[in-house]
Amino acid sequence: MFHYAISRLLWLVPTLLAMALVTFLVMHATPGSPLDPVAEGANPLSPETQKNLAEHYGLDRPLWQQFAIFVGNAVQGDFGHSYVYKTRTVREIILETFPVSLLLGSMALAIAVVGGLTLGILAALYQNRGWDYLSVSLATVGVAVPNFVLAVFLIILFSFVVPLFPTGGWDSPRTWVLPTLTLAMAPMGIIARFTRASMLEVIRADYTLTARAKGLGEGPVVFKHALRNALIPVVTLLGPMFAAVGTGSFFVESIFRVPGMGQFFVLSMTGRDYPMIMAVVLTYGVFLAVMNLVVDLTYGALDPRIRY
Amino acid sequence: MANLPIPGAQIDLLAERLAAVGVDRRDFLRIAAALAAMGAAGFDARPAAAAPKPGAGEKLAKQQHLRYGGGGWYSQDPASHDYNKDLYCGGTQQLWAGLMSFTADLEAVPYVAEKVSANKDGSVWTYTIRKDSKWSDGSPCTARDFEWSWKRQLDPATAAPYASFLYDIKNAEAYNKKQITDPSQVGVRARDDWTLEVTLEGPRGYFPVLSAYSAALPAHRPSVEKHGDRWTEAANIVCNGPFVLESWEHNRVIVLRKNKHFFGAKDITLEKVTIPIIPIASGILPYENNEIDLTRPQTADLKRLQSDPRTAKEVFRFPYPGTWYLLPQVTKAPFDNVKVRRAVAHAIDRENVVRVAQGFAIPAHSMIPPGFPGALDDARIRAIQKFDPEAALAQLKGTPFEGGRNWPRIVLSLRDEALGSKPLAEAVQAVLLEHLNMKTELEVLEPRVFRDRLWKQDLQFVWIRWFMDYPDPHNEYFDTFYGKRTTGRRQAWVNDAFDKELEAGRDTRDTRKRLAHYAKAEEILQTDVGYVPVAWVVRYAVAKPYVRGFERNRQGELVADGNIYVDMLSHLYIVEKA
Amino acid sequence: MALSTPGSGTSVAVESRTLAGVDAVPAPGPPAAELAAPARGSSSLGRDAWRRLRRNRLAMAGGIVIALLCVVAVFADLLAPLPYTKTDFGRLNELPSRDFPLGTDALGRDLLSRMIYGARVSMLVGLGAQLIVVAIGVPIGALSGYLGGRVDVLLTRFIDVMYAFPRLLFVILVMSMLGAGLVNIFIAIGLTGWVGIARQTRAQVLTLKGTEFVDAARALGGGSARILTRHVLPNALTPIVVAVSFGIPEAIFTEAALSFIGVGINPPTPSWGQMVGEGQQYIRSYWHLCVFPSIAIAVTMLAFTFFGDGVRDALDPKLK
Repeated sequence: MFHYAISRLLWLVPTLLAMALVTFLVMHATPGSPLDPVAEGANPLSPETQKNLAEHYGLDRPLWQQFAIFVGNAVQGDFGHSYVYKTRTVREIILETFPVSLLLGSMALAIAVVGGLTLGILAALYQNRGWDYLSVSLATVGVAVPNFVLAVFLIILFSFVVPLFPTGGWDSPRTWVLPTLTLAMAPMGIIARFTRASMLEVIRADYTLTARAKGLGEGPVVFKHALRNALIPVVTLLGPMFAAVGTGSFFVESIFRVPGMGQFFVLSMTGRDYPMIMAVVLTYGVFLAVMNLVVDLTYGALDPRIRY
Repeated sequence: MANLPIPGAQIDLLAERLAAVGVDRRDFLRIAAALAAMGAAGFDARPAAAAPKPGAGEKLAKQQHLRYGGGGWYSQDPASHDYNKDLYCGGTQQLWAGLMSFTADLEAVPYVAEKVSANKDGSVWTYTIRKDSKWSDGSPCTARDFEWSWKRQLDPATAAPYASFLYDIKNAEAYNKKQITDPSQVGVRARDDWTLEVTLEGPRGYFPVLSAYSAALPAHRPSVEKHGDRWTEAANIVCNGPFVLESWEHNRVIVLRKNKHFFGAKDITLEKVTIPIIPIASGILPYENNEIDLTRPQTADLKRLQSDPRTAKEVFRFPYPGTWYLLPQVTKAPFDNVKVRRAVAHAIDRENVVRVAQGFAIPAHSMIPPGFPGALDDARIRAIQKFDPEAALAQLKGTPFEGGRNWPRIVLSLRDEALGSKPLAEAVQAVLLEHLNMKTELEVLEPRVFRDRLWKQDLQFVWIRWFMDYPDPHNEYFDTFYGKRTTGRRQAWVNDAFDKELEAGRDTRDTRKRLAHYAKAEEILQTDVGYVPVAWVVRYAVAKPYVRGFERNRQGELVADGNIYVDMLSHLYIVEKA
Repeated sequence: MALSTPGSGTSVAVESRTLAGVDAVPAPGPPAAELAAPARGSSSLGRDAWRRLRRNRLAMAGGIVIALLCVVAVFADLLAPLPYTKTDFGRLNELPSRDFPLGTDALGRDLLSRMIYGARVSMLVGLGAQLIVVAIGVPIGALSGYLGGRVDVLLTRFIDVMYAFPRLLFVILVMSMLGAGLVNIFIAIGLTGWVGIARQTRAQVLTLKGTEFVDAARALGGGSARILTRHVLPNALTPIVVAVSFGIPEAIFTEAALSFIGVGINPPTPSWGQMVGEGQQYIRSYWHLCVFPSIAIAVTMLAFTFFGDGVRDALDPKLK
C-alpha cells in the first residue's frame, strides 16, 4: 500500500511536466499579448516599454528556454510574479485564495454528500415511485440549472424575498451560506444519481438477497450490506469532484464576491497572466491527483477485494 | 503667475503626452477646456476642495461611513496603490495628493502646492508647497519628496510603464532611456523643503495640468525603500492624501479612513469609506440590498430604478463623453467602394438603434458630443449621413450590390466588454439587414485579440468607440483618424484633404478658425465615409438618499469619480436618514 | 481514474466526467460496474431491452421530449412565428403577451422564436461536440485497451494528463486560441471532453478482450483491426451511447457557461446557453429573459437523463 502510494506520487511528476508543457504551448499560441496594458482603456505601450517588459519577464527568450526556466523555478515553488497583480507573487496569491475556495468547496461537498446520499438512497428504495421521481427531479434540477442562474435565484429568494443573507462578501459565516448552497447543488445531484444507480444494483445483488433471505430486516440490509457496497463508486466520484469544487468556481465566486482561487480559472486567461495560468493548472492537477490517491486508498478499506 | 497663452504646438505636445500614457479614455475630459480656463485666469484661480456644507434641513449623520463600489468601480482587486509607478494600478487615488488637482470642471488647481509660477516663456515652473503638507505618519511631505518620486518614476530600474508621461522634464527621456545615468541632470529639483523647481525641455504652458494628473502623484520614500514593491500594502503604506488605507484584504475589501494629517482634513466629512471588490457580474444586487450606498447601474437595471418611485431620485447621469461608431475598412471589399460605404451610412437608423441602449446612448451625428469644444450637430452635418433607406439603396445602383444583392461575407468585429456594446452592435446589424439586405456576422473578440488585429487594420468592419481623452477636437480627429500616423491607427482610410484640415487645425491659433478646419474635416470624413458615427455614450450613478455632497460642474451636472476627477470622496457626507 | 497507475488494483473504473465541470457541466456517466455485459444473442436482447424501455414511463417521457426537441430543431424555420433576427426597437424586454407568448428580448426580438431556433443551435452544439468527443475518445480508448502494453501505458498517461486539466480554463484557453463561434465551441468542448469516453471505452474493451467470443474470433483467424471493429466495439457501444446521451446536455450547459464569460456563440445566433448567460444580468428587471431558456435547458437535461438512465437500465440484463 505504501509502495502503491509512492509510485502514484512518482507518476505525478511526468504528468505535471506534460501538463505544464501543453499549457505552456497552447498559452503561447493564443493571440493577445501579456505585455498589453492591463487597464481596459489604456493605450498600447511604446515599443521600448514593451521590449523592457519582455526582458523583465524573460519573454524575449526562445520558448524552450522560457519553459526550462519556468520548470526550474516551479520546482522550488516559485511561479514568479503575476503579470496582472504585479507586486505580488503567484504563489502568494494562490496561498491566499486557495484556502478560501477549499473551505467553500468542503462545505459545499459536505452538504452535497449528505443530501445526495439521502436522495439517492430514497430514490433507490422507492424505485419508480414518488420518492424516486422527486429525488431524481430535484437532483437533476440541481445539475441542470447553470449555477450562475441558481446563484441569482438564491440571492433574490434569500436576500430580497426573505431577507436572511447578504448578497455576497466573505466576512462572516452568514455570507458563506448562499455560495455554499449554490455550489453544492450540482455535486449533490450527481451524487444522488450515482447513489441511486449503485444502490439499485447492490439491492439486487446476490449477497443482499441472501441477507434478506436470512431474514434480516430492511434497515440492516440497506445500511449494513447494501450501502457499504453501494458507496464504492460514489466514493470514487468524490476525488475529482472535490478537486473541481475545492479549487473554486469562477461563477459562484464572482457573483458572491468570494475571494477564492476559482476566479483565476477565467481571469488568468483573459488577462494573459502566464505565470498565473501555469500555477492554476498545476495546482489543480496536484490537488486532483492527491484527492484521487486519497480516494483510492480509502476505498481499499471499503472493498476488501481491492488489494494494492 | 503670468497668464501665459498656450501655443498650439504645446497643445500637440500635451496631446502626445496624454496619448503616450494612454490617459484613460473613459474619463479624461475637458483638459483642454481646463487649459483654456487657465489661459484666462491662471492656475491659481480657484482653491481646491472647499468644505462641503450640509444644505438646509440636512443633518449630518453620526456615522460618516460610506460604502461604495460595483458597476465598474473596483471590479477587480487593484494591482497596487502605487500611482507613482503605474497610473493604471487600479488602486485608490484618494490616498494621494498631488501638487495640483482637478476640479469638477477638470480645471487644474493648486493642491499640495499653494502657488505655481513660471518663468517668462513657461519653460521653468516653480511650485511653492504648503507648509502644512504632511505624510500620514505626521512627517512633512516636502518638495524633496516630489523630486525623489518623479525621479523614481523615471529611473529605468523602476520600470514604470508610463514614465513617458514626465518626458517634458529636461533630460527625463534621456535618463529613462539610459542615455544619461546621472539623475541630478534631470530637471526637477527641490530648491528647499518647500520649493520645487521643474525645468522643462522647452516652453510648456500646460505643465501644471500634467502635474495634476495621477501619474505625478508622490510616493513615500522610506516606505518604498523599506518594503519594495509591497509598500502599498495596508501594513506598510504611508500616504499624503485625504484618506489613509486602514485595511486592504485582497480580492475582498478596501477600507479607507480619514487622514488626520491631511492638510485639508478639516474639510473632509467622511470618516470611513468601505470599498468591497464587486465584479460586474454581481450587478446592482448589493446596492439594492443596502450593502453599499453608491454604485453605477448598468443597462439591466437602469429602467427599473428609474421607474420605481422609491429609487427614481437616486439615479443621476454623469459626464462620460464617448462616441460609438462604425469603421468600414476601405481596403476590404465591399467597403473599398465608397458607394457601399455611403449606403451603409444612410442605412443606420440611429434613433432606433440607440433605443436598445436603454438610456445609455443617444444618436450621434459627429465625433464630438454637444457641449464640448468642436461639437457639430447641425442640420448640415446631419444631412451627410442622414438615415434614409431609399437614398441608401439608391447608392447601390450601378454597384454589384444593386438592390441589396450579392453581398460577400461581411464580418462586423467588436471587442467583448461589459453590457451595452453587444446590443448596440446587434441593432446595427439588424438595421443593415433591414435596409440594405446586408447580412453581417458579428464577431466578438477578446479585448487583447481585438486590439491586436485593429492595429494591423486586419478587420473588415469594426464596431468601436472612442472615449474622449481631453476635450479638444485634436483628440477626436488627429489621435484617431490622422492618416500619417504610423502607429495606433484604427483604420486604413486615408484622405489627404482631411489630413490637411487636421494639420491646419493643429497649427492655427485662432479658435474660431480652428473649429472651422475641424468642421471641414468632419465633413470630409463623413462624405468619404471614413467612419459612420452611431451613438454618443451616456453614463449613470445611483446613490442612496442619505449620500450627499456631489459636486456639480458648470453645466449643472452632478459629477462622480472618474479617472481625472477623483475628488468625490472629499465632498461627500452622510445625512441622517429621514 | 485520474493519475492512477495502469494496472493498479483499482479497476473499478468509475467514470465521472465532472471535472471543473461542476462549474461548467456536470453529468454523471454510468458507473462501470453497471455497464452492459457483452451482447449475447443481440436480437432478443434488443427486443427485451425495447420492451423494458417501453415499460419505463419516465424514460419514454424523456424520449418523447428528445424527439420533440429534434423536430423543433429541424423545423425551426416552419415553427418559429418570426425570424430570430426580427427586431422591434419599440418593444424591448416586454413580458409575455398575446403578441409575444414568451415576451421580447433586449432588441425587441420574439423570445419564443429565438428559443425555437435556439433549440437547433443548442442541439447542434450538443451533437457537434459529442461527435468530436466520440471521434477522439473512442479510438484512443479502444486502441489503448485492445493493444495493451506500451501503447496502453502511453495512451493512458496521455489520457491522465488531459484528465487533470481544469476543464473550464482549458476550454477558455482553446476558445481564445480559436476565437468565438459555433464550430469553435464544438472543437473546444470536444477537445477537452473526450477523456471520459476514452477511459470508458478502454475499460470496456479491456473487459471484452478477455471474453470467450473474442478469443473465438481470434482463433478463427480474425485480424486485430477486424476483431476490434467487428466484435469488440459493437459490444462496447452501450456505455458509449449512454455517455453521449449525457454529454449532449453537458455541452449545452458548457456553452451557457462560455456565454456568461463572454467567449460563446457570436450574436445574433440564438442559443439557450447564450440567452441564459446574457439574461442572467436582467433577472431583477426582466425575469423572462433568463427563466424561459433556463427551463428549456433544465427540461432537456432531465429528458436526456431519464432517457439515458432508461436505456442503460433496459440494456443491463442484470437489472431484469
